[in-house]
Amino acid sequence: MNVIWTVLKKECVDNIRDRRTILSSFSLALLGPLAFVAMMTFVLNKALGESDTTVEFTLAGADHAPGLVAYLEGQNTEIEQIDLEPGQDPRVLVTSGAHDLLLVVPEDFAERFENGRSNALALIYDSSELGSAQRRARRVDSLVSTYSRTIGLMRLQLRGVDPSIAQPVSTRTVDVASPAERALMVLTTLPYLILLVAFMGGFYLAIDTTAGEREHGSLEPLLTQPVARSQLVLGKIGATAVFALASLCVFLIAFYFSVPFVPLERIGMSLDVDIVAVLMMLGVMLPLVWFAAALLTVAASFAKSYKEAQTYLSFLILVPTLPVIVAQVSGVEASLPLMMVPSLSQSLLVQDLITSEPITLIEVLISAVSTGVLALGLTWLAILLYRRERILI
Amino acid sequence: MISVRGINKHFGEVRAVSDVSFEARDNRVTALLGPNGAGKSTTLRVLSGVLRPDSGTATINGFNVVESPLEVRRSIGVMPHDSGIYTRLTARENIRYFGELQGMTRSRLDERIESLLDHLDMRSFADRRTEGFSQGQKVKVALARALINDPKHVLLDEPTNGLDVMATRSLREIILGLKAAGCCVLFSSHIMQEVANLCDDVVIIAGGSVQFEGSLEGLREKAQTADLEDAFIALAGLEQTT
Repeated sequence: MNVIWTVLKKECVDNIRDRRTILSSFSLALLGPLAFVAMMTFVLNKALGESDTTVEFTLAGADHAPGLVAYLEGQNTEIEQIDLEPGQDPRVLVTSGAHDLLLVVPEDFAERFENGRSNALALIYDSSELGSAQRRARRVDSLVSTYSRTIGLMRLQLRGVDPSIAQPVSTRTVDVASPAERALMVLTTLPYLILLVAFMGGFYLAIDTTAGEREHGSLEPLLTQPVARSQLVLGKIGATAVFALASLCVFLIAFYFSVPFVPLERIGMSLDVDIVAVLMMLGVMLPLVWFAAALLTVAASFAKSYKEAQTYLSFLILVPTLPVIVAQVSGVEASLPLMMVPSLSQSLLVQDLITSEPITLIEVLISAVSTGVLALGLTWLAILLYRRERILI
Repeated sequence: MISVRGINKHFGEVRAVSDVSFEARDNRVTALLGPNGAGKSTTLRVLSGVLRPDSGTATINGFNVVESPLEVRRSIGVMPHDSGIYTRLTARENIRYFGELQGMTRSRLDERIESLLDHLDMRSFADRRTEGFSQGQKVKVALARALINDPKHVLLDEPTNGLDVMATRSLREIILGLKAAGCCVLFSSHIMQEVANLCDDVVIIAGGSVQFEGSLEGLREKAQTADLEDAFIALAGLEQTT
C-alpha cells in the first residue's frame, strides 16, 4: 500500500509541474460549462428573439404613409423618423454609418396608394457590416409584406372578389420544436461532455506514466526496485484516476455555478441542478473514472513513445462516446440492460439527473458494478502487461 | 558476491548472450568489458531481474535472480545505461522517490540523502529540477538513487558514458570508495583504459560469450602483451573485424 501511495504521489507531483498535462487535463473541464452556457443562451435567444425583441429601424418619409407607419408602430418596433433633404441619396445615410437600417417611403406613395397602384419601398442596409441589421431587415420586410397583403386582400374584398383567388397556392410553415425542445437538444450534449472530461483528465497522465517513462529511460531503474510490479501499476493508474477525478470535479463545480446564467426561465423551464444532483453525478461517474484511467493506461502501455501513445489515445478517447451516440440516434431510454454498458449507463444517468428525472438505486448499482468489474479487468490487464519483460524492450 | 552460470538469452532470432558464466567478488571492482553489442547490458539486465534468462542461473548474495527477485533487488543498486531520471523533479526528489519505494523510514532516508549529497558532492544542485543538468550531474543523481539503500552489490551500465575528465575522475573515486566499503561492484565498459585504472578483475565479453575472466595481471599474461588495449583487442577477437 505504501508503494502504491509513493508512486501515486510522485506521478501527481511530477505532472502538476507539467504545463502540457495541466492544460490538457483541465481546459475542457473549465471551458466546457462556459461553452454550454453560451450555446444554451444562443439557442434560447434565437428561438425567442425573433418575435420577442423590439425591431429598431429608421424610417424616412413617414408623412407620406401614415397608415403604414401606424401599422408598423403597433408591431413591437422602435422607429426613428427622419426626413430626407430634397435630392438626397438615402443610401449615403447607410454607407456613412449614420443609420444601419433605413426604410424609405417615396414621396408619391400616398398618391399611388390612393390610385391602387403598386408602391416600392426601399429597405437599405449593408450586409457586409457585422451586426443585426440583416436580421432586422428580414423582420421589417416581412412586416411590410404582411401590411401589403392585408391591404390587398381588403381591396379585393371591397370589390367583391374572393381574396383566395389572389393566392392560388400557399404554404404554412409549422416548426413543432418549441424553444424548450431546442434547449433540451443542447442539454443532451452535456453527458458527452462529462464523459470526455473524465477521459481527457487522465489523458496525458496515462501517457506520461507509461510510454513517457519508457521513452525517458526511467522505467528500467523503476523496475529494478524491490517492489511488486502490480503495485507500481496500481500507483500509476491511481494517479491517472486522481487527475481524471480532479478534472471531473472542476467541470461539475464550473457547471454548477454556470447553470444559473442560462436564461431558461424565459421559456418557462427550470434547470434544478442543486448541490445534491451534482454530488450524485460525481458518484455515478466514480466507477467510470477508474475505468477510464485503466483503459488509457492499458492502451498507452503498448506504445513505446509519447507520440505513439498520443495517436492511440486520441482514437481511444472517442470510443466511450460511441455507445452514447448510437443510443441517442436510436432514441433509447434508460433501461436496466443498458446500465451494463460503461459510459452509456453513466451518460443516461447523468442526463436524468440534469433534467430532474428520477433514477433508481438499482440502475445506479448495476451501472457501478458492471463498470467496476470491467475496470478491474482492465487493471489486471495493465498489471499483466507490466509483468512481461517486453515492457522494457 | 555475484555468480553467473551458463546464461543464455535471445530476442527473436538474435542471440544476445550465450553460455555466459563469471563471478564478481565482494571487496572488488569487476569490469564487464566488451565492444558495443557484445551483450553487456543484457547480462546486467538479467542480474537486475528485468530480463529473464532462457537458461542458466544467476545468483546475487546467494539469491537466485529469477526465483527471488525481490530479495535480489533489495541487495543491489542499479544504474542502467540511460540515467533515466525524472526531469520535472529535483535531484533530491528523484533520490527520495526511490528511497520511499524501498520502504525506508523517513528519518533514515533523510540521513542517507544528506550523506549521499555530501559524498557525491551534489549540494550545489540538489534542489534544482534536473531538466538541463549536465551529463555528469545526471549520472550523480542516478548513482545516488542507486545507492540510496546502501546496497552490497552495485551494477553500473557504462557509467562513464558522456562524462568529461573531471566527472570521470570523480566517478572513479566514488567507485573505489564503494569497494573500500566492502561492496561488490560490477560495471560495464567498452574502454580499456578506464577499466585498467579502476578494476581488480575483468570479464571480457564479445559476440555474446565470455572470452576471458580473471585479474588484470592474468589478462596481460594470457594475451602476452603489456599493453592492455592490445590484450583486449586480441581476446575480444576484434582484430578480424577492424
